[in-house]
Amino acid sequence: MLGITVRRASVTGRFFLVYGTAISLLLGCLLAYFSGPSFASSYPLFVPIFGVVGSMGGLTVFTSDRTKGVLEYLIAYGYSPRRLFADVLLTTLVLVSIVVGIGVSVSLGVYFAEGHTVTSTLTIGMGVYAVPMAFACAAFASTVGVYWTTLSSPRQGINSPVGLIPFIGILPALVTLFAITAIALSGPVSTTTLLLILGSGTGLVAIVVIVLLVSMGRLLRRERFLSPA
Amino acid sequence: MGSATNVPDSSVSAGNGVGIDCRSVTAGYLGSRVLHQISFRITEPSIYVVLGPNGAGKTTLFRTLAGILRPYEGEVYIGGEPVDRQSSRDRLHYLTHMDGLPDGLSVREALEFFARAEGAQARDVDRVLDQLEIRDLSAKFPSQLSAGQRKRVSIARVFLRERSIYLLDEPTANLDPKVARETRELILKLSREKIVLYSSHNLFEAREIGRYVLVIKSGQISRFDRIENVRGSRYILGIRVLQPSPALGAYDHEGEYYLRELSGPEEVPAVLRELMAQGVQIREAREMENPLEDLFT
Repeated sequence: MLGITVRRASVTGRFFLVYGTAISLLLGCLLAYFSGPSFASSYPLFVPIFGVVGSMGGLTVFTSDRTKGVLEYLIAYGYSPRRLFADVLLTTLVLVSIVVGIGVSVSLGVYFAEGHTVTSTLTIGMGVYAVPMAFACAAFASTVGVYWTTLSSPRQGINSPVGLIPFIGILPALVTLFAITAIALSGPVSTTTLLLILGSGTGLVAIVVIVLLVSMGRLLRRERFLSPA
Repeated sequence: MGSATNVPDSSVSAGNGVGIDCRSVTAGYLGSRVLHQISFRITEPSIYVVLGPNGAGKTTLFRTLAGILRPYEGEVYIGGEPVDRQSSRDRLHYLTHMDGLPDGLSVREALEFFARAEGAQARDVDRVLDQLEIRDLSAKFPSQLSAGQRKRVSIARVFLRERSIYLLDEPTANLDPKVARETRELILKLSREKIVLYSSHNLFEAREIGRYVLVIKSGQISRFDRIENVRGSRYILGIRVLQPSPALGAYDHEGEYYLRELSGPEEVPAVLRELMAQGVQIREAREMENPLEDLFT
């Protein structure tokens, strides 16, 4: 089932997937080629944004399935709402891995091809912030999106959950960056502090997602998954 | 074989087959109650038409029987087991009033998706494609299908695996009469020897296919009976003629129609023959009042 859902998400959310991957690639390659060592500190900041945008296909499929009555069938077959949400979450994570995988690997390839080497800034930026935060933000976006979709009546366009969720999805990344900025304003930030803030940000988002997943049965009644039509 | 009318506690049962046991069920949406203390038991394979006006609670009843909605009070048993158990779910099929076809998948892929979801095999997809004569639609996407074709594909999903109970919520809604008739015949053919709950607000459809009628009114079962017991109550024949005739002297009038109350539609041919024998030139004959309409009022 997950394989089919991923394929459907790639098709119905192809605009998001192509857009997220393409911009990530373009920006990464431009920064790696032209900006030199500053790539290590600038590119990681953008990766979670592309991850969130590119993975919206999972939520698109969920929203469409709810509106069209597909979820009603699946619940009748015995699928629990939690299982349905877990499918969305896993689909989202697969899509993020495509966007981030392509964007980061190609950009790093260009960066190393230009003669740059691995630095601690690059390692922390990519390994502790960019990649984990991209997955965390995308998971956060799809979790909030599922709750929002099921708690509201269907809407189309920019005012729909699918239209607005990318802005909400990147909030954890922005909050983390603001926290680092606030600390940096009062003095130099040690590597330990930086690692602590970045790790805490990702961890906190992961905890929120897990709590919302586990609580889904209690917080969202089954009738929320039925089409309002 | 027994039947009861004017429930709250209706039961139609025969034998010890797998059946539906609905015990004092109150259910609805987000705390708002739609069904009120509904009880009935069905074990005899047959077609039960669930009738009721819009908003009476038909869909809510089906969703509760299918285990989608959890009752606020009471219990639903399928084959003697609570409906929440997977073994109960595996005994029934539910067709919603929506097509429920997933985006991004062709007809074949959609059927494969549902086959996988309910543990059917790939060969079952081929079987239903042939059974429902939709193989030529295999590669099409839902957006490329007509309403009738979409409904046919939706129904195909129900027959991917054989079940003992079928819950069909308005399967012919929004279809033109010809497609509706074909769909009805198809469902009847494929669901023989099963318990079929078939919801409709079409009174004629109920009379055509049903053996039992279960009437829901304001979230309660107002009647559960054999359809012939309901049918015999009142039948008004309306006749429109080219020229007035003394042979119609005893008939009542309503607009252009001469009215006569019969015990049932089976008397119509004899009445028409008698009138034509007396030289009455009949332009139109129709049923003026459906006895099942009384059930809704």
